[in-house]
Amino acid sequence: MSNPSSFPDPVQTPAIRIQNLTVSYGPKPALLDINLTIDPGLLVGVIGPNGSGKSTFVKSILGFVKRDIGDVYIQGIPTEKAKGLVAYVPQRGAVDWDFPITVREVALMGRYGDLPWYRQPSGKDHAIVDDALEMVRMQEFSDRQIGQLSGGQQQRVFMARALAQGADILLLDEPFAGVDAATERAILDVLDRAKEAGKTLVVVHHDLATAAEYFDRLVLIKQRLYAYGTPAEVLHEDLLSEVYEGRLRVFADLVGNRGDK
Amino acid sequence: MDSGVLAFLHHAFIEPLQQGYFQKAMLGGCIVAIVSGVVGCLVVLRRMSFLGDALSHAMIAGVAGGYLFMKVLFGIEAHAPAMLVGSVIAAVITVALIGFVSRVSRVKEDAAIGIMYTGVFAAGVVLVSMFRNYIHIDIMHFIMGDVLGVADADLLASGIAAALVLTVIVLFFRYFQLSSFDPVMAASIGLPVLLIEYVFTTCVSLVVVSAVSMVGVILVVGLLITPAASAYLLSDRLGRMMGLSALFGVTSVIGGLYLCTWLDSAGGGAIMLFCTLQFLVVLIAAPRYGMLSRWLRLRRAIPQSLREDILGVVLKKETAALATILHELGDPAKTRRGVLTLADEGYLSLEQDMYSLTESGRKEADRIRRAHRIWEAYLQHVGTPAEQIHGRAHELEHVGGIATVSYLDDLLGHPDKDPHGQPIPQDPALMQPGADVALSLLRDGQSGVVSSIGSAVDGTALKAGDSVRIRKRDGQGRWVVLDESGTEKSFDHKSADTVIIRLDR
Ligand SMILES: Nc1ncnc2c1ncn2[C@@H]1O[C@H](COP(=O)(O)OP(=O)(O)O)[C@@H](O)[C@H]1O
Ligand SMILES: [Mg+2]
Repeated sequence: MSNPSSFPDPVQTPAIRIQNLTVSYGPKPALLDINLTIDPGLLVGVIGPNGSGKSTFVKSILGFVKRDIGDVYIQGIPTEKAKGLVAYVPQRGAVDWDFPITVREVALMGRYGDLPWYRQPSGKDHAIVDDALEMVRMQEFSDRQIGQLSGGQQQRVFMARALAQGADILLLDEPFAGVDAATERAILDVLDRAKEAGKTLVVVHHDLATAAEYFDRLVLIKQRLYAYGTPAEVLHEDLLSEVYEGRLRVFADLVGNRGDK
Repeated sequence: MDSGVLAFLHHAFIEPLQQGYFQKAMLGGCIVAIVSGVVGCLVVLRRMSFLGDALSHAMIAGVAGGYLFMKVLFGIEAHAPAMLVGSVIAAVITVALIGFVSRVSRVKEDAAIGIMYTGVFAAGVVLVSMFRNYIHIDIMHFIMGDVLGVADADLLASGIAAALVLTVIVLFFRYFQLSSFDPVMAASIGLPVLLIEYVFTTCVSLVVVSAVSMVGVILVVGLLITPAASAYLLSDRLGRMMGLSALFGVTSVIGGLYLCTWLDSAGGGAIMLFCTLQFLVVLIAAPRYGMLSRWLRLRRAIPQSLREDILGVVLKKETAALATILHELGDPAKTRRGVLTLADEGYLSLEQDMYSLTESGRKEADRIRRAHRIWEAYLQHVGTPAEQIHGRAHELEHVGGIATVSYLDDLLGHPDKDPHGQPIPQDPALMQPGADVALSLLRDGQSGVVSSIGSAVDGTALKAGDSVRIRKRDGQGRWVVLDESGTEKSFDHKSADTVIIRLDR
């Protein structure tokens, strides 16, 4: 939406560029020397075992974690200056669901970045919020407190917030965790529509079986970047068994299906 | 008689109001209560209750330091602004020390808090008693507070502090809301999260400092968080929670002050006692998050087990009079309601005073039981505490219908027992003679003809057209079938999903 610098041209520049990124909490690095360029308009899945640094990866694109080394550029702008260009849907477990806040108030938070502190949200802001809630079909739950929704509905509220923010890049941390199959479809539908609207989406995903079907590109991460490419390139038995250390019983099947897309 | 009551009321309520000290206490108390109620909401939501405690304990050192500083350098006695600034400095140092200790050592934050604020508090006590000839402050005044002895200077100071803090909170409400709720997003849209945190800490310090002179070191945390916690149980929006919290603070002060004049007790103590009682009332009676409503909800719900039991009894007896059902099951009142509900929902039919299962009732009996037990198995699988499993499964079994249940069933590897060891019924809609069903869904004793097999299955093991009889799963949870020649073949989950069997008629 409001791109602070109209140059460089966002169509030409990669949506996200990461160079030599290393992040550590204490002595052990969570991410080590990640180099990656994500082109605009892609639906990208981030896969890797638990604790492999997927959330950290997403947070460093946001500029929220302290980097030891390296740079992250959002549409050519260093992430620490690229405020508001990236919208974020947190991991379910990271949200305080008892917080006294309603669905609508959460979605309205998407507008806070564009509002100066002395101004109240305008009619236009409210219209944007309405559209966003409509898009995820949460309009009728506007006045519910967020703790009183089902898992899938909760996920959609945060997607509405991200949409209301109007950012070109959306980061979602495990949106499919703990939702039933029907809700998974509904969420995927919203992702697809956001992609059609030209957004770049980076989605942390835990289910390898559906990864090939859902995403244009996959990032396979475990501290290091093991692979980035199309699902056919990434879902390699050798790679997966190295990253998952045999904790996965469905290799044969996955690798068998990888030509599908 | 009437005049007696009036006289009593006058004596109890009006007379204290005519006292100057009472008016001042009321005014000062309300100012402090409003601002600490509002700030307290954020303290509760940010889980920073320790901050209030740390701050109040640090105060005495700060006051002594400020006192000495002004006295030694400028010869001014009891300079109130200096004591205030001293308190805030001491508070900030305490908070910094807590963070420092928990970061550089293995001592966790809760222990660091305990160490630091008792340490700083002790330093204050030692300082005051060492210089007792120079410093004319009363330690007991700090520890207990003296709401009935509020000085004009105190009133003025807390008035200014309250105005300042409330202005900041109201002006930057959105920033405080967002950074409390989702600091990651707050940072990502460029809010200065750290600065907001410092500003907030300063606000809390100001509130604590102005409240200590009234309710004392020990009780000030209560004034900060108790009204906020009461409001938390009653509100679904932050703005409303702040309003209610301020209101509860004010009612505590008013109630507490009357209480203390009637009982002739310590003012701060009476206020906090009133405040705590108020919280307990809310805790019990709050419409949604209170204990009473929780209890009522639990009571009013017809438990899943009862529904199952009723359907089960009718299933077993084929037809049963209400009296029989009531006799078989305990809790007549509830059971009667359960039967009526089930009849209403079309699962039971009533003919000549006898209940029997309708066709949908029969299916429902199996479906509910299956959904419920699969959800229980799933909840156990995802690590839900055992005591919550039944209740959660009861809520969830109505979610998403048959597709959801099948999905979970597959995820769990098609278990035949739930966590309590009860058998999980098969899906009644699926197990019709002549229907095509995946091997993974079949159980011991069923038989049929293989209609197709997936590519993953070894073609030599089984082929389309083979008649098979299903056996119990083996020790590894593999599916075992017996073919015409009586040989056992076993399949893993993936393969069993792709072997489709047409059930015998
Ligand atoms: N705030 C933190 N402090 C210390 N260690 C952390 C923190 N967040 C994550 N870690 C560690 O960093 C590693 C990567 O974590 P994370 O990015 O959450 O992985 P994932 O999202 O893939 O499960 C894990 O070993 C985790 O324990
Ligand atoms: Mg994670």
